Amino acid sequence: METSTLLDLYRDMWLIRAFEQGLEREFEKGNVPGMLHTGLGQEATQAALAWHLKATDTFFPDHRCHGINALAQQRHGGNGERVMAELFGKATGVCSGKGGSLHSADPAVGNFGDNAVEGSYMATVLGVALAAKMRGRPNVACAIIGDGTVGRGEFHESLNMAAIWDLPVLYACINNGYAISMPVGEGHASADIVDMVQGYGFGSSQVDGNDIVEAWTAVGAAVEHIRSGAGPCFLEFKTWRWQGIFAGEFRPEAEVKYWKEERDPIMLAAEALGERGVDHAELDAIEQEARDVIEEWIGFALESPAPDPDKATADVYVGWEVSSR
Amino acid sequence: MTAADTARPARKARTPRKPRDRVRKASFTQALNNALDLAMDKHAEMFLIGEDIAEMGGDFGVTKGLLASYGPERVRDTPLSEAAIIGTCAGAAMVGMRPVAEIMFADFIAECYDQVVNNVAKLHYMFDGQFKAPLVIRTACGGGFGGGPHHSQSVEGWFLNVPGIVIVAPSNPVDAKGLLLASIDSDDPVLFLEHKALYRSRAEVPPEYYTTPLGEASIAREGTDVTVVAAMRMVPMALDAAAKAADDGISVEVVDLRTIRPYDAATVLASASRTGRVVVANEAPRIGGLGAELSARISEECFAQLRGPVVRVDGLDTPIPFSVPLEDIVLPGTDDIAAAISSAAQY
Repeated sequence: METSTLLDLYRDMWLIRAFEQGLEREFEKGNVPGMLHTGLGQEATQAALAWHLKATDTFFPDHRCHGINALAQQRHGGNGERVMAELFGKATGVCSGKGGSLHSADPAVGNFGDNAVEGSYMATVLGVALAAKMRGRPNVACAIIGDGTVGRGEFHESLNMAAIWDLPVLYACINNGYAISMPVGEGHASADIVDMVQGYGFGSSQVDGNDIVEAWTAVGAAVEHIRSGAGPCFLEFKTWRWQGIFAGEFRPEAEVKYWKEERDPIMLAAEALGERGVDHAELDAIEQEARDVIEEWIGFALESPAPDPDKATADVYVGWEVSSR
Repeated sequence: MTAADTARPARKARTPRKPRDRVRKASFTQALNNALDLAMDKHAEMFLIGEDIAEMGGDFGVTKGLLASYGPERVRDTPLSEAAIIGTCAGAAMVGMRPVAEIMFADFIAECYDQVVNNVAKLHYMFDGQFKAPLVIRTACGGGFGGGPHHSQSVEGWFLNVPGIVIVAPSNPVDAKGLLLASIDSDDPVLFLEHKALYRSRAEVPPEYYTTPLGEASIAREGTDVTVVAAMRMVPMALDAAAKAADDGISVEVVDLRTIRPYDAATVLASASRTGRVVVANEAPRIGGLGAELSARISEECFAQLRGPVVRVDGLDTPIPFSVPLEDIVLPGTDDIAAAISSAAQY
């Protein structure tokens, strides 16, 4: 990997981290309605995916994917602040505030929206991929899922159908060790999801999700494989989420310490950049730049108006109006 | 003349045969098949997907012959994966395809209920109109043939409370074709209910492409004393009951809903207001179903014009038993509608 590429990915990871930390702060202040799930600790996988997916590709983000949503919008649309505004439920959001964190879609930049019934888009991704195949377009359809989704029936229906139809699907499984409070090894037949996937007979591999170089390389190879028409690919990113559960931290202290202090993907990338001769001042400037951008986005979201009341009854049907009370 | 000839009974004079209908009558199944054929020809972005729909032509023969005409890319067999079938339709529709799924029996929709309710029905709304879901889910519903608890249910009630889905429910072959073509043309997701007892019903079906508008009821029979509001199999039953009532001097109007959601309230309420006496007939269990909605709406909006309470005819509040005599007890029939008409006519 070129140092300039690593620096770009470092910048992307900082944008994600600053986004999520700013969001956490605003959530605690009561400015962000609903629930909050952050991608803190998982920045490397999201930056790697965002890098390789084009606006003409499709991804279905999971509930911790504000970062990739923002990167895709910023990269292909230039208005990352609209991703932030959506989370505040504002008119300027990518779905005019109707979707929020769990239902942000932004199709112009490839974001086909989260579905808060985790794993449901394991089925939906098949249709996008099938359409691409029927039309002969070299597009990748990516489903970003957590390890918890592996328990859903649609996970297995999807892998099976993608296999028998050779569909251009990239499955990006972010294995962060827990489905809310359930450790992955207790919830599934194997703590290594790739072991369960092997029987479906297409390419799968396990990747260090906190190593941006490894993640970026793996996604690049998978995307190239899929784009060539060689069928689906499954990547399992081993990682760890910083956010506990709503009640607080439930994981062993040593585990928390290990992942936050020794396996932080941004810290690891900074070390790699340091070894390549990039100086601290430049890295600090990247962090500061990301934080400044996010403060602008938060300001934009806070100042944006609430959605027009007509939005409450708009777009239930294409062919019928729904009257208000 | 031989002995054998004399032994033969005298040949009866042949009654002249009725001249054959010039247009051969088509079955409900054939009408649907013809609609799919015409639509596949019209829409290059349309495909069919479901279990055993290709070579086999579907469990009821609705997709018969389409594989030969359109090939396996567009007439696509799947494993037993209802959620993946509907998910595939949703994803394909999000990028402008026009998929038509077959869920073999309506009861199996429970397997993809999440896809229909949380995904398909909400796609357009929750993402602020950025996606449309122009897909059709065809499925065989209804009882009356000893199918038992998992092959006989009327599922419209499962979806009545779901904004965003369109529920279409034809009662005859002519409407079946026109409504299916309109459903495929529609940019909204349609749950298209095909009552199994109607598959063999026959009518003169125009061979050309035509659509029957969604959201519009039809007056299947005009009358002045009692209105019966019905859909699917309840319509022919209501027409039989209406003919019987006519013998007793009761003039019955039968409103065929055709689209159950969003339904044609204007036609229903106008008829109810005209006659002042209303029966609502539906095959599903009474609680929380179509009959409950219609009854409430009519009572609410036509109170001043009603001469008596709205009378409901429904299935009993039970699952559907296998044994046919038991099933006859559970499901409503022509006699139940006739009794309801008499009851309403007392006021």
